[in-house]
Amino acid sequence: MTDLLGTIDPYVWLAILGVTAATFITRASLFVLGARVQFPPMVEAALRFAPACALAAIVAADLAFVEGQLRIDASNHKLIAGCIGIGIFSLTRSITGTIAGGMIAFWLLHF
Amino acid sequence: MVKSGLSTLDATILSLLAYAGSAQLAAMPLIATLAPLWLVTLTAIIVNLRFVVYTALLRPHFTHLSAGRRLWLGYIVGDIMFVRFTSLLQQEPNYPHKVAYYTGGALANWVIWQVSSLIGIFAASVIPASWGLELAGTLALVALLVPLCRQWPALAGATAAAVVAVLAHSLPLRLGLLCGVLVGIAVALLVDQQLRRRTGSERASS
Repeated sequence: MTDLLGTIDPYVWLAILGVTAATFITRASLFVLGARVQFPPMVEAALRFAPACALAAIVAADLAFVEGQLRIDASNHKLIAGCIGIGIFSLTRSITGTIAGGMIAFWLLHF
Repeated sequence: MVKSGLSTLDATILSLLAYAGSAQLAAMPLIATLAPLWLVTLTAIIVNLRFVVYTALLRPHFTHLSAGRRLWLGYIVGDIMFVRFTSLLQQEPNYPHKVAYYTGGALANWVIWQVSSLIGIFAASVIPASWGLELAGTLALVALLVPLCRQWPALAGATAAAVVAVLAHSLPLRLGLLCGVLVGIAVALLVDQQLRRRTGSERASS
């Protein structure tokens, strides 16, 4: 708890402002502009697929590497826990269950 | 969130201002590795792009309100309220209290989300790092990702994005992620087009 208040790091605070700006740009700009903006169908489809692609890229980069080394095999406990998480969510649709089940699997393998 | 280099205060302020779970989780590892600010912001925008689609569809219901009010109503858009609001208006297209319905639901969602998020932030500050809790953040993203992949184009795009992100991992500035996203979107669009063409020709031949 020593860093409860933390130090005021300008980089971190600018990054926080950047993510906040991203929230306003994506959620509020069309509402505020008000005028009818119609996206070409291609752009609308690309927008529709972007979140799934972004999340998949982030998750894959997080799970496939252990201490900076690519490890796609059974010795990568994060990867196994992630696969178990996909299975749990597909069966139960529970976010809490996915996190809990994945973490329990990781701890059982790891300790 | 606190497990990736931000202090509890940083994470609290980020949560209260940005109100964007997956964008926050995606930005964390970038901030922890001191990635350039434009990349942090761009990543958050890409992860948030679905809200552009939501607000494009919701906007006609709110155009009669003032610009300031529309700003805040846009800011509190969430996945759950989008689904509930659109399904309500499908059943009752002329529902007279739609603005109140939306505002109440979306505000309640904001409050519940913030409370849960802050509990998580403070719990993380007392749990040791050796427990590997950053994996919980990734698992939360998995739970958000799986329901987005129910259709073939999205599943193909997500798979391509994952493969490219892993292969291009050594690129500087975590640009491998951006490459993954761009290739993934292209693959999803291609599969989408192929499927449309096939269903189109089936319809034409029958």
